[in-house]
Amino acid sequence: MRSLTYAQAINEALGQALELSPSVFLAGQMIDYKSGVFGTTTGLVERFGRERLLDFPVAESLMTSAALGAALAGMRPVIIHQRHDFMMYSLDAIVNWLALWRFKSNGESNAPVTIRTVVGRGWGQGPQHSKSLHAWFAHLPGLQVAMPATAHDAKGLMLESIFGENPTLIVEHRSLFSMTDDVPEEAYRVPFGKAVVRRSGGDATLTAVGAMVPTALRAAEILAEESIDVEVIDLRTVSPLDVATLCNSVSKTKRLVVADPAWRSVSIAAEVMAVVCEKLGDRLAAQPVRICHPDSHTPMSGTLESAYYPGEQQLAAAVREVCGQSRRRRPHAA
Amino acid sequence: MTQLTHAAIRAAGRYTGLSLRGADPDLVKRLHRFMLRLRICEQALMDEYHPADEMRCPIHFCIGQEAAPAALHEELEAEDYLFSHHRSHGYYLAKRAPLGALVAELYGKETGANGGRAGSQDLSSPVCRMYGGAILTGAVAISVGAALGEQLRGGRQVSVTGFGEAATEEGIFWEAVNFAALRKLPLVFVCENNLYSMYSPQLKRQPDDGISRRVAAFGVPTETIFGNDVVAVHQSVAGAVARARQGEGPTFIETYTYRWNGHVGPESDDWLEYRSEDELGFWKDNCPLALLEERMLESGWLTAQSKEQIVRESSEEIAAAIQFAKDSPFPTSPDWQGMNYAAETPAADALLQASSSSQFDQNQTFSMPGPY
Repeated sequence: MRSLTYAQAINEALGQALELSPSVFLAGQMIDYKSGVFGTTTGLVERFGRERLLDFPVAESLMTSAALGAALAGMRPVIIHQRHDFMMYSLDAIVNWLALWRFKSNGESNAPVTIRTVVGRGWGQGPQHSKSLHAWFAHLPGLQVAMPATAHDAKGLMLESIFGENPTLIVEHRSLFSMTDDVPEEAYRVPFGKAVVRRSGGDATLTAVGAMVPTALRAAEILAEESIDVEVIDLRTVSPLDVATLCNSVSKTKRLVVADPAWRSVSIAAEVMAVVCEKLGDRLAAQPVRICHPDSHTPMSGTLESAYYPGEQQLAAAVREVCGQSRRRRPHAA
Repeated sequence: MTQLTHAAIRAAGRYTGLSLRGADPDLVKRLHRFMLRLRICEQALMDEYHPADEMRCPIHFCIGQEAAPAALHEELEAEDYLFSHHRSHGYYLAKRAPLGALVAELYGKETGANGGRAGSQDLSSPVCRMYGGAILTGAVAISVGAALGEQLRGGRQVSVTGFGEAATEEGIFWEAVNFAALRKLPLVFVCENNLYSMYSPQLKRQPDDGISRRVAAFGVPTETIFGNDVVAVHQSVAGAVARARQGEGPTFIETYTYRWNGHVGPESDDWLEYRSEDELGFWKDNCPLALLEERMLESGWLTAQSKEQIVRESSEEIAAAIQFAKDSPFPTSPDWQGMNYAAETPAADALLQASSSSQFDQNQTFSMPGPY
């Protein structure tokens, strides 16, 4: 097996998609320069030309609507936002049009649009370069939201999205771009709505999303040395959510910690906890815990940044907490 | 008139410019027939709306604004794309979509154009390539994409987008004009300037009545026309569609027109006093149908009998459509998942391999992303 970085795997997926079908095109600001959106499009313009890699005007809203319109003409557009924050210009296009296109047409017309969006971190990215609003978009019916954590999944989910029929948001995190993984050479698919067990264990379920997956695996290593056996689940897509894999694990471990790289309130972590409590609430041995970012915008300064992002030690501590905590029923209020 | 504006149109008095000189009689008869049929259908729906109250969705009727849809009906091919604002019925019929399905949609029936999911203001007929939506500038932006898609795939189809003058107050409108001009897209903008955004007049919202000048600054050819002269509207639309089809880029057409009925629903909203009786009277006196019929009667292209025949046929057609809608079943047993997501992935099935790796080297050290 071959090892590629996350960025290289995305690049390979896009190149293969462009090769596989003339209906695929990419659009985004400055995607046709050597820097290539952190290396994810580098080299593609030399192979496919500027009519398939459109350096789009600074008009995120139009770009999204135009992708939808082009899909009606039989194209499979991939639009690219170098910064997730800038994508917010396109909310009307996504919320009022793209996500409900199929619904509104009574299933007669699909909109296979792939939206790549990159979440930043580090080097003082600050409040307008580092937020991750995947929970907002997962809330929308009609839109799929993927958060690939590995190079393998980044490629497979990208291809599945491009050649699938539903509009999809792929949230990529910059802290993952240099991480390597085994990536098959062929054009392969990773299905939506299928979480993966990254590490088996019986003491607690640590469910992680996107950039928190490597952190969760490091936490599991730390805990293994303490003989705490953690099962790490990588959700891979937050819409649809793989409730079955999640509940299989929690029914075994009876303990849940969720790690979500976003604000705590009204988060995917909250959704995961709600779903587990709905299905297995009376079988949990401990109250579930979520580890998220504080409900605060991201600070620039390095010291505050370090305090803002949870790491493996916080995850390990949360798992110790759920493992040490015996179940105590609160008496019902009178 | 040096520059056409709503004020200049009022000041000039009743319009006398409609000319059939050199026109093709069959074409003129088709334009007339479309407008008369649309008028009769809209009037019948307005009459039926209350007190029956079986059409339980907001409907924006288009009485007085029949000319632009008539011109589009004449010029667009089946595979061309037409994007509509919320006042959608004329655009729907312009793409030759079935009347029965339109009315059934208003009644929320399973046989409706969108199975009762959309209603009047979100109406579409994907098979006829007609797409509407209530948030109207959004549809303008999507029309740019259809034109881009055609251009990228080397197709011959054009994309047309109809909207009101208020749509040009949204930022995305200018994103659309900029990109259409940049790429010389096969696109026609049809701005039906009917003076009001609901109740608010254009000059309360815009510094002047000069949208076409603003669009022209992008290098897009523009035409301003009296929108109730269907012959002139048709001429502009035909020229713009031909240019788009020949790869000569987008055109912006501003048609000055007026809505007779209230903004939404069949009832008058004139009690709000946002427009004067004089103004409404002026525009009724400049009815697009009446202006055309006067000339057609003079030239013998229309007679009382031939008009009566169209009235009779259209009245029967809309009565049958209303009956069809009433007789149709309501949708039941919603499949929420299937309504919102496609389950099939035919392209992915054909092109992609399966892979089920869950291996991941967890011993990689975390590295902070580089600067910037």
